[in-house]
Amino acid sequence: METIAMPAINLAVIMPEILLSCIAMVLLLVNVFVPGNNKAYLGYLSIIGLAVTAASAVGGWGPSVSAFNGSVVQDNFAIFFKVIFLISAGLAILISDRYMVQEDCNQGELYPMILFATVGMMLMASGTDLMVIFLGLELLSICLYVLAGWNRDNLKSNEAGLKYFLLGAFSTGFLLYGMALTYGATGSTKIQAISSYVMGNPGVASNPLFVVGMLLIAVGFSFKIAAAPFHMWTPDVYQGAPTPMTAFMSAGPKAAGFAAFIRVMIFAFPMLRAEWSDLLWILAVLTMTVGNIIALSQDNVKRMLAYSSIAHAGYALVGFAAVNAEGAAGILFYMLSYAFMNIGAFAVIILITKKGEVNGNVQDLAGFGHKKPLLAMVLSIFLFSLAGMPPTAGFIGKFYLFSAAIKAGYVWLAIIGVLNSAASLYYYLRVMVFMYMKDPEEDFEWAGATPAIAVCLLVAVGATLVLGVVPGTVLELAQKAVQF
Amino acid sequence: MFDLVWLIPLCPLIGSVINGLLGKKIKNETVIGGIAAGSVFASFMVACGILFQLLSLPGEERVIQKTIFTWIQSGTFKADIGFLIDPLSATMLMIVTGIGFLIHLYSIGYMHGEEGFYRYFCYLNLFTFSMLCLVSGNNLLLMFIGWEGVGLCSYLLIGYYFHKKSAGDAGKKAFVMNRVGDFGFLLGLFTLFYYLGTNHNVWTINFVELAKNADLLVPGAVVTTVCLCFFLGATGKSAQIPLYTWLPDAMEGPTPVSALIHAATMVTAGVYMIARMNFIFIKSPTALLVIACVGAATALFAATIGTAQNDIKRVLAYSTVSQLGYMFLAMGVGAFTAGVFHLMTHAFFKACLFLGSGSVIHGMHHALHHEHSEADPQDMRNMGGLRKKMPVTFWTFLFATIAIAGIPGLAGFFSKDEILWQAFANPHHHAVNYVLWGAGAIAAGLTAFYMFRLVFMTFFGQTRLSEKAFHHLHESPWVITVPLVCLAFLSIFGGYVGVPKVLSEFFTGGAFPNYFEHWLEPVFAYSTHYTEAHGAHGLHSVAMEWGLMGVSVLIACGGIALAFALYIVAPGFPEKFTSTFPALHRAVYNKWYVDEIYDFAFVNPCKALGNFLWKGFDVLVVDGIVNGVAAVVRGFSGILRYVQTGFVHNYAFTMVFGVALIVAVYIFR
Amino acid sequence: MESIFFLVVAAVAVISSILVVTCKNPINSALSLVMTFFCLATFYVMLDAPFMAATQVIVYAGAIMVLIIFVIMLLNVRVETVKRGTHAVIAGSAIGLFILFQTVWFLMKGSMTGKVGDMTKEQIVSVGHVELIGKALFTDFLLPFEVTSVLLLAAIVGAVILAKKKI
Repeated sequence: METIAMPAINLAVIMPEILLSCIAMVLLLVNVFVPGNNKAYLGYLSIIGLAVTAASAVGGWGPSVSAFNGSVVQDNFAIFFKVIFLISAGLAILISDRYMVQEDCNQGELYPMILFATVGMMLMASGTDLMVIFLGLELLSICLYVLAGWNRDNLKSNEAGLKYFLLGAFSTGFLLYGMALTYGATGSTKIQAISSYVMGNPGVASNPLFVVGMLLIAVGFSFKIAAAPFHMWTPDVYQGAPTPMTAFMSAGPKAAGFAAFIRVMIFAFPMLRAEWSDLLWILAVLTMTVGNIIALSQDNVKRMLAYSSIAHAGYALVGFAAVNAEGAAGILFYMLSYAFMNIGAFAVIILITKKGEVNGNVQDLAGFGHKKPLLAMVLSIFLFSLAGMPPTAGFIGKFYLFSAAIKAGYVWLAIIGVLNSAASLYYYLRVMVFMYMKDPEEDFEWAGATPAIAVCLLVAVGATLVLGVVPGTVLELAQKAVQF
Repeated sequence: MFDLVWLIPLCPLIGSVINGLLGKKIKNETVIGGIAAGSVFASFMVACGILFQLLSLPGEERVIQKTIFTWIQSGTFKADIGFLIDPLSATMLMIVTGIGFLIHLYSIGYMHGEEGFYRYFCYLNLFTFSMLCLVSGNNLLLMFIGWEGVGLCSYLLIGYYFHKKSAGDAGKKAFVMNRVGDFGFLLGLFTLFYYLGTNHNVWTINFVELAKNADLLVPGAVVTTVCLCFFLGATGKSAQIPLYTWLPDAMEGPTPVSALIHAATMVTAGVYMIARMNFIFIKSPTALLVIACVGAATALFAATIGTAQNDIKRVLAYSTVSQLGYMFLAMGVGAFTAGVFHLMTHAFFKACLFLGSGSVIHGMHHALHHEHSEADPQDMRNMGGLRKKMPVTFWTFLFATIAIAGIPGLAGFFSKDEILWQAFANPHHHAVNYVLWGAGAIAAGLTAFYMFRLVFMTFFGQTRLSEKAFHHLHESPWVITVPLVCLAFLSIFGGYVGVPKVLSEFFTGGAFPNYFEHWLEPVFAYSTHYTEAHGAHGLHSVAMEWGLMGVSVLIACGGIALAFALYIVAPGFPEKFTSTFPALHRAVYNKWYVDEIYDFAFVNPCKALGNFLWKGFDVLVVDGIVNGVAAVVRGFSGILRYVQTGFVHNYAFTMVFGVALIVAVYIFR
Repeated sequence: MESIFFLVVAAVAVISSILVVTCKNPINSALSLVMTFFCLATFYVMLDAPFMAATQVIVYAGAIMVLIIFVIMLLNVRVETVKRGTHAVIAGSAIGLFILFQTVWFLMKGSMTGKVGDMTKEQIVSVGHVELIGKALFTDFLLPFEVTSVLLLAAIVGAVILAKKKI
């Protein structure tokens, strides 16, 4: 009997993924024995799990190590992104408990699902095989479909889950088709093998199979990061999904999309750099503009933030289109700060909305600044950061993205970005105008913040300000992370 | 010890944060004041440690940089959060933390019972933090952060009694005038950075790097522009002509604030800045001449105004402006050491004077309060004879006054005399030297006159208070008098670290050298060499130096004698004088109408222009455009949102359409 | 002979997949889908991938389609009565034609062959298709294979959560 030559299995490389999957499965089992009113403890347990995973992930910082025949890699780039995912998952878990209790939602399986989604994101960041990246994306997506439709008694949530599922499956089709074409053209799904094959046979770079493969892969990822014109699902899903899950979706999976997108484009298709860089240019402009312009006329804060999240993907694409180290580092930094400021903003929204997500409109915030000055100030900080005003993280992030674009010669792209950023001020400030300059129509019913949400807000505000005032260390790490 | 330098600014910042966030809940004044003063004391201890360690190093090694982390990095532009420790910054750190601590201590007594006690200490600590950043930062941007920070804190503290309209206005005035100066600072920074970067590919704002590359700065129009821009910044912060008018108004703030910010530390920031960048300024004789002339003019001009003020703090304010003029005169004649020396001694005696005046005001306030009198506790015409009731205040005040008047043996004499001699003997300005010296000498005489006028009106003669009020007048508590004694001690003996060479050679045969000059020598070494290398030699005449010293002492004594004659011997004479020359007196009393001229020349036209721009340009043109664009965008927004139909098949269709378009672009290009 | 057979099967595949979306009765749609799957299985056989063909028939045409038809029966889905908007049909056809045009353009433009694999037909036949796939799964694609298990677990949990009446 012939024995199979097993590939070099270096489990240490995928230790964070293994750990987190195991923790998720254990939590699924533990859940059975936890009484219904104590499910919040599962959340705390999962936060501990995330922390352990983060520790094991950060432990790998240093030179990159590949494993499983080049299916997966442990490098600084992946580690930086993994930390972003873990942070956004942790923050989302912190703000979930109160919302789920308020909406009478099942909580037990929520946390394992978030953890599974995080495993998927981590695989997307560290995968160097198109199959691994695809499976990571599927794992993430399936969990997200469920999470979006978590509130089963709420029609909007159901709708969000279903829409996300249908459109997600549709986009997966494009992605897979692109991968299949690429495989057909190059004979491998390993990123390294693809690029080296193309290097060896330059003719392949003009093979329509290969080019269309690249384009369709780009389309698939564009859907994931909600870039226009593949953004249509975003507003409906973000608005319908339970708010903590919206916060999670807008931060973690978007970053995961960028992680995989960057890795595939830069490593698998370096020969087509001119092509995809132009494509990203167009996507960036469209995404920023569409996101910002439609956000202007939104009254619902969640929906407004959904469009704003589209616009933010556009800003990050500006750095991506620049195709230089500074741009890539800018994206890393921006995704990290975006996780903090956006989840923070959603946390405040959770505190404001009542059961059934009523009073989620801008008008309902009238007089909020006088009723709850501290909370209003916190929300203002997040909105300022989202708008990209100093001294917040959002400003530094945008500054780096746009300066990367200028350095790469995309001056017009940077100008369009800045103009968009200026336009976005309108809808962010509009919230503040209502908070501080309008009188409330009725009295606020205030349920108060739970300690978990308070912790989340504290962390988010602290990080937003620290990253805005002293970004040096983190930027340095981000720059190290993109030295491939 | 050098590794701990970050603690110096951090301690006051922590104190500020604690008092700012929790002060309202703490309520206990001892705790709040203790936190504030304790944090500054901790910084002081670290600064002492650093000073001693620096002293133990040989002179040329006394430049240490400690970078904590990279703050901003963008291409060629890099700014660190880092500290520069050298003799100059160590001196400034000692002054700021040392005097800062004494004034914090003093404030605990002075601000006792004030509403917003915690707010005061929060601001004061924040100020200390900013000032420490300013003097210890190793690059221009960090200095600018401190520069803006002290401006902000100054604004907050001047307007501390914000319920009084005059206090709010004074705060605004200080802020606006400082902003004019800051603009100059920034322009200078940008020009310097850009000039060195584009011409020599040296992209840096780090002081040490700049000093290393000082040779690249070729004397010429650009360097002069850079220097003048920076100097404009300095005139704003350090209250020089033409931006000095905010400082007297700043006396609306609590007196310890005037002592710390508007006498000892913040207003000297401009002097520090020029000293820090002496290697640039020395390259531009034109800029030096401008600085010297502005300094001398300010010294003289402010001194004249000081002679006719009746508010005790206003006299001191004009005296500060005048003394700052001396420091700039020193900078302008290339006598950087002398300028920094005067900065230090001035910090001692002026802080002492302000705190003394605060003690007087404190006492007067209580006395008048007992009588339910509405009289102004700051007006010297209400005082007189206080020396019996407030002996500690009186003696400390008297010593500080003698020091500022320039009587031999006390701190002020050494530093002021050094400046006057350098003004006369420097190699930079030739014939203008005599004018500079003359202005300085006359100002010295006026200083002696108005300071003793103040002392005589306040502490001597018969009291002009009612008997009951005078009875209630008493000495201030120990937290107020201890700092006074410390500062008086420094005013007397602080000058001996920098005894001029002629004096030490004459009296001790050179056994008691000019430590201070030696200490700062490495900082200004480049400028010294540069001056020598360019063939310029100053006057070296021992006889001349003695002669001029004698003249200036005589002038000072003359001023004192005049004050004695007018306010002790013949107290009725000033009245007669003012009634004989009413126009002159009115002009001086009203500060030569400079405020009114500024109002007429700048403020009102600006307001008119602002009104015009607002109503004519802004509302019609700008708002029109903005609203127009906004309307168009919102229109698009309204249309685009209809694309978002909510139907999945429409969304899917859009996606397919997008894919088809993208692929099409690649086929047909 | 083979190419004629291919053309016939391909025509059936295209027609049956058009029927999937045009049939008004869901049962008919589902049965058309089964037809399409069988056609695909035929293609696999023609490409010398018998294992793939078997999987296609067993998993898709068998298991999944049975489920779908079960669901249709259980939910008692009616014959579609809503009339489709004509503009949707026009827009859809236009974009479909456009994509068809693009595909043809590509085909005309140049060779669509990519890299030819290492395995020859003879090798595959001699070693056995199943064994080769198994080998690939346990060597090159070991990690994806394992990840699939986590993916399925998450999918099952998700399905239960969304579907079960009371948890």
